[in-house]
Amino acid sequence: MAAPEVHHLFHSPIADHSFSADRELLAVARENNVELYSHTGNRFALKDELKGHEKVVTSVDIAPQTGKIVTCSQDRNAYVWEPSPTGWRPTLVLLRINRAATFVRWAPSERKFAVGSGARVIAVCYFEEENDWWVSKHLKKPIRSTITSIAWHPNSVLLAAGSTDAHARVFSGFIKGVDSRPEPSVWGERLPFNTVCGEFLNGSAGWVHGCAFSPSGDALAFAAHDSSVTVVYPSGPEQPPKAVVSVTTQLLPFMSLIWNGESEIIAAGYDCEAYRLRGDENGWQLVGSLENKSRPGLADRGEESALNMFKQLDLKGKAKNDTQLKTVHQNSINTIRSYEEDASGHVKRFSTSGVDGRVVIWNV
Amino acid sequence: MAYVNYRTIDVDRLDPDSSINFDTSTLLPPLVPVSAADVQSLAGQIRQLLRGGDAEGALIGALQNAPYGGDDKAKEVHLATVIEILQSIKQAEMSPILTRIYQSEGGSETLDILMKYLYKGMSLTQPSSVAGKPISPQPTGFSQITSRGGGEGSGQAMSVLLSWHEKLVEIAGPGSIVRVMTDRRTV
Repeated sequence: MAAPEVHHLFHSPIADHSFSADRELLAVARENNVELYSHTGNRFALKDELKGHEKVVTSVDIAPQTGKIVTCSQDRNAYVWEPSPTGWRPTLVLLRINRAATFVRWAPSERKFAVGSGARVIAVCYFEEENDWWVSKHLKKPIRSTITSIAWHPNSVLLAAGSTDAHARVFSGFIKGVDSRPEPSVWGERLPFNTVCGEFLNGSAGWVHGCAFSPSGDALAFAAHDSSVTVVYPSGPEQPPKAVVSVTTQLLPFMSLIWNGESEIIAAGYDCEAYRLRGDENGWQLVGSLENKSRPGLADRGEESALNMFKQLDLKGKAKNDTQLKTVHQNSINTIRSYEEDASGHVKRFSTSGVDGRVVIWNV
Repeated sequence: MAYVNYRTIDVDRLDPDSSINFDTSTLLPPLVPVSAADVQSLAGQIRQLLRGGDAEGALIGALQNAPYGGDDKAKEVHLATVIEILQSIKQAEMSPILTRIYQSEGGSETLDILMKYLYKGMSLTQPSSVAGKPISPQPTGFSQITSRGGGEGSGQAMSVLLSWHEKLVEIAGPGSIVRVMTDRRTV
């Protein structure tokens, strides 16, 4: 397994990161701005900054096909940034929320996106041609608390949202005139806007940090603050799911997760490294870390001369430097995203970003 | 016109949908109510197991029948039972018992419940055996004075809980602690 590609961009937390489809552009949310890095040689160099938000930017997403960037922030606004001859041009989105916007993701169709917020609503935003403006419709009921994460179903109509009220929900974000009628799926047949297709909660009811649909869209996984990952297999509209599998781990909670095929999930969070889970309807298990702990530069640290040990004891009052974690990330991971997939939709490489200001590209 | 500092207005009070006007417990599945009498009779059965020498069985039985839906009295009685079992198990037997529970079906949940009892036990300032006669905290005095009332017994109970805690974290990991903090089903 090749070593991961580590890009230490700066010394402040990265709330979210996103790569363009050609992987030449990297957008990183840093405090009130979004920084754009371009791939030069084997590193990423700062190329541009998207300035406009007045408070901390919480989420950023680059649309793979159109290249448009959507950002949202604690200042309750979202902007859609489009490239123009004079640089990136922002368009304000009418979110109509009275709390921070927490999470944004483009729908696979790229004709709309969803913004989660602390105002207990999800704003599903789409472009209105006649007004030349991004407008939103609110998904409101039955959300009782802040939305922490959003994931789109491959059909661009359904979306899953994790919330601090400990529920992961599946909604219909069908917008007339924007979406075509979706094929009936296990989540439902008729799907007008704000249809609640499922509400899930696990035993110990930790608030939900991250959620994701499987590549087929027929299963939903969510990670919660009780250090668990729960996978839901729905059986059909208006029926209880055929299986809800919950894996409680010995680790600290996961913040974010992605699917790798239908039977593998990669999750990362407060343990600063990515873990692999495998399973199906009959059960899921934590397989182990994706990090190779015997990397050069880490292993040889164990063998130190007696002189060195006493020197350390004299200077620092301890024999070992314990301020450095053994993981690549030196602080918790906020976001995990698929970086490169093969033809069958399996993840070949994925990227993580976290509080330590690093973006790391891993080989599966 | 009177000066109004708009920043100090609590907007949530004016919003009928606000979370402060909403009972969050309705979001969670309802708990089965358990009466104090039931807990008492369960405690009797568990003590019987304990007297018979089956400390492990007693511990599993006590943990799997945690009275989530019970009132304060019921929970107090059950806590006393669990602590009694924990104190009766020798230090050398802790890890093997925990390992066996962890490897059994649903063992992870059972250990999470044990962790809840450890923290609940540690939060008490007095040993559970004298829980019946509460020492009223003095509003002006130093809190140390009242806790000293527990004397040696309290320190000993704490050291038992701490060694259980150490062994439990080795097996169930920090995930178990996080679950105690997030879970709204309290013991």
